Amino acid sequence: MKNNIRVERAILNMTQEELANKISVSRQTINAMEANKYVPSTVLALKIAKVFKKPVEEIFQLEKGD
Amino acid sequence: MNTPLLLPNRFKTFGWCILIPATLAGIYLISINFQTTWITTTVFSFFGDDEIIKASGPAGNHNFTFITVDITNSLVGFLFIIGGLMVGFSKEKSEDEFIANLRLSSLLWSVWVNYVLLLIAFLFIWNFDFLNVMVYNMFTILIIFIIRFNFILYKNSKMATDEK
Repeated sequence: MKNNIRVERAILNMTQEELANKISVSRQTINAMEANKYVPSTVLALKIAKVFKKPVEEIFQLEKGD
Repeated sequence: MNTPLLLPNRFKTFGWCILIPATLAGIYLISINFQTTWITTTVFSFFGDDEIIKASGPAGNHNFTFITVDITNSLVGFLFIIGGLMVGFSKEKSEDEFIANLRLSSLLWSVWVNYVLLLIAFLFIWNFDFLNVMVYNMFTILIIFIIRFNFILYKNSKMATDEK
């Protein structure tokens, strides 16, 4: 699964730390997701979508092989 | 996130304060081949037979009785495990699903590495030297786990500081 958290974050001019605090996770988690090393739970994906005020599908997309 | 079976975060620092001195003491004990007579005291023994002395008479029977022994090695090992458990199984400052996931994968990883190393030791280490393998093997799962978990966590936070 790929995501464009980094892009969305840039649009809102938000640091990893700020996003992490908003959804109460560690900064490492945001970093791991942006590096495509971690697939978040549904709860976390929904929280992120809520911060960016976009539907989940616009932030997370399935990849070939998923 | 609420993960059961983890200690509160403050135990982590406390754990390092025990683990580091215990590690240094352990390394020193290895270097002197565990031959110590520093803290000799009377302790209660469930099982404590000394087979060599036992052969020469009843003096060697140390089961379910008070005995006087040097407890340095046991004490250092005890502290090492207590410290290691505190460091390994305390919550992070911001405990979340990624960290819980990482902890679990590190545990799996350390069990694998530990037993692969043990299998190699079974194949290639013999006689009295195998006793050393058994001594170190008591601690290796914990050591490998702590190193792996903290290394990945560190690598992730390092990358994070590089980006804007």
